[in-house]
Amino acid sequence: MTWVSWRLERTEALIVLGILALLAALLVPTGIQMADAYHRDGLAACLSVNPGPTCGNKLGDFRQHFQSLIDLSNWFTLVPGLIGVLLAAPFIFDLEHGTYRLAWTQSITRDRWLLGKLGSAAVAAALAAGALILLFTWWRAPSVHLDGRLDTGNYDSTGIVVIGYTLFALALAVALGAIWRRAAASLAVAFVGYFAARVFVDVLLRDHLVAPVKATYRGTQQPSFLYNAHILSLRGATHGHEILGGSSGPAQKFATPGMNSAVFQVVYQPDSHFWPLQLTETAIFVGFAAILILFASWWTRQRTS
Amino acid sequence: MNDTVAIRTSGLAKRYGSRWALRDCTLEIPSGSVTALVGPNGAGKTTLLHLVIGLVEPTSGAVDVFGRSPRRDAKEVLPRLGFVAQDHPLHRNLTIADTLTYGRKLNPSWNKQLAVSRVERLGLSMRQKVGQLSGGQQAQVALTLALAKQPQLLVLDEPVASLDPLARREFLNAVMEAVVEEGITVVLSSHIVAELERVCDYLVTLADGATQLTGSISQIVASHRLLTGPRSDAAGVARAHDVIRESHTERQTTLLVRANGHVYDSRWEQHEVDLEEIVLAYLGYQSGNGAAATSALEMVRS
Amino acid sequence: MVFAMIEFHLDGRAGVPAYLQLVQQVRQAIRLGILRPGDQLPTVKEVVTRLTINPNTVLHAYRQLDLEGLIEGRRGIGTFVSAHPVPPPPDDLKALRSTLQRWVGRAREAGLDDEGIAALVAEAVRPSAASRVA
Repeated sequence: MTWVSWRLERTEALIVLGILALLAALLVPTGIQMADAYHRDGLAACLSVNPGPTCGNKLGDFRQHFQSLIDLSNWFTLVPGLIGVLLAAPFIFDLEHGTYRLAWTQSITRDRWLLGKLGSAAVAAALAAGALILLFTWWRAPSVHLDGRLDTGNYDSTGIVVIGYTLFALALAVALGAIWRRAAASLAVAFVGYFAARVFVDVLLRDHLVAPVKATYRGTQQPSFLYNAHILSLRGATHGHEILGGSSGPAQKFATPGMNSAVFQVVYQPDSHFWPLQLTETAIFVGFAAILILFASWWTRQRTS
Repeated sequence: MNDTVAIRTSGLAKRYGSRWALRDCTLEIPSGSVTALVGPNGAGKTTLLHLVIGLVEPTSGAVDVFGRSPRRDAKEVLPRLGFVAQDHPLHRNLTIADTLTYGRKLNPSWNKQLAVSRVERLGLSMRQKVGQLSGGQQAQVALTLALAKQPQLLVLDEPVASLDPLARREFLNAVMEAVVEEGITVVLSSHIVAELERVCDYLVTLADGATQLTGSISQIVASHRLLTGPRSDAAGVARAHDVIRESHTERQTTLLVRANGHVYDSRWEQHEVDLEEIVLAYLGYQSGNGAAATSALEMVRS
Repeated sequence: MVFAMIEFHLDGRAGVPAYLQLVQQVRQAIRLGILRPGDQLPTVKEVVTRLTINPNTVLHAYRQLDLEGLIEGRRGIGTFVSAHPVPPPPDDLKALRSTLQRWVGRAREAGLDDEGIAALVAEAVRPSAASRVA
């Protein structure tokens, strides 16, 4: 069954490899440029406690060159969804074209068939996700240094959540395909579903997956605990007047004049919460993926003839 | 007991939602026979076959293949079973070689020699993609997959429905060869009766989920008669024999009967009836109205 | 490979069971000298492949011919026409033929055409077929 699952998955696997290759072709040249610029300008030094006088300009330059590219690349977070649904296609085609009847009347059991088909798709999905993580970790290294791991674009693509995303998209497509037995419709709807789930988790859930930290600080200097943190809300008051409402923008790293006596109240996710957040979000996606796969297996085993 | 009866059903029934696809089916199919399962579309033929091979769970009743349950004992039964589903599904993107590897990987009792020699005799190249083959060739490849696992029971769901006459003849020929060489039991369903008479020796008719006629074909043909005579009622004949169909003109009466022994009544001229006529009469008999009989006629005569 | 002397054919619409057609064809072949004593008959497999029919049909026909003494099976080798098959003796045949020709002449004088003659013959033959089968 192992040979059979892989052989029947060959076309889709090649398409996924093609996508990865295309992505690499797009990202490698710019990634090299970005890394060069980062190291040439010695931007690493600018992130220390005492940045030199030229840092303002150098960082400004870097951002001017590359920030729009980095922002655009955030859209690549849809790629795990695309790969996941694609890898569900062989399973759904088997149901759509009736070849499952061929498989179930050889000599293996239905369970063995399900395990082989879905197992090999899941393995392929995880491997592809791993490749994506590697690629993006390398490409986004400068951005991670500058904006931290918790920055949405970095968080989404350089952590293990990518594996969760891919498996979830695969499982959603498999579940829909088990019921509808139509590949095109199932893949399309599953991709939309993946998009909706991602938006929901990103916008509503992510900030609260792990309890954020509340703190108060004085003065204009950015306290070190806010370094690379993800700020949920920041309120400041000076002499009793509020000067800053609850915003959740990137942490400021430079002093704003005239704020020496201000008191700030901040709610944030510190950089150290990166792994707990990643693991929790991954667990959610993988958990739902497992439920969907189990449902699809049950449906296929009991209700299909 | 396992060896003389290949398939045994008792009270076998299957319901989908509120519709009964198969009702109270009780029959025994002898080992070594070639059985025709005949009936119009929607009669329940595919349902019955799927129950026999364990693709589907019965709603009530039981089915045995060589004495074992095909669903519960799938591990033991499946290797002894060869099946070709309707429209002979195959993976169209695989080459013939890959398709045979598929069979080898999924069947412990795979006879590679048999598979390869069959493909060669068919004049096909191992490198051809299944999707590029003609309908008849695809059917033959599907049959090869089923035969190479060396089954004792071969189940074919409308195997020749979509094939041209030559491909039909070649397919059935291949099945007959397997019967001669391996002594396998064959069950094949069809909505066409005519060709089956020379290939099959056992018959099961199905209409509206119910079986009507089951038995050896030679016995069925021998025991049915067409009686013609001047216009009269069937009561006299009906006392001794089963009148399956009666029709009258102003001056003539025609009866199709299943005779219990010899028909002695000299008023009637006796004729032999061929299998197709008998089957048609039974299919019309069950529904009891002209419209159904006509549609049965269309189905079975095509 | 041994090429058999006889080639079977089947008439689906003849109203005669398939096995009986094979039996009749062998009888006729022996009568006409197409099959001679010692000739090998096609194997069951060869007939099945040629005609696409159920093997039991062939076995039934060969069994019938064996019972009639026209053929014999030699285990492991094949089925052969008997050394002394029993066709009707030539004298009876001649007498039958001339009686028939005279009868046909009388039937034509009575006004019967070919079909009418055939119908009478079929009717005369039928009771024996029906009684055999009941």
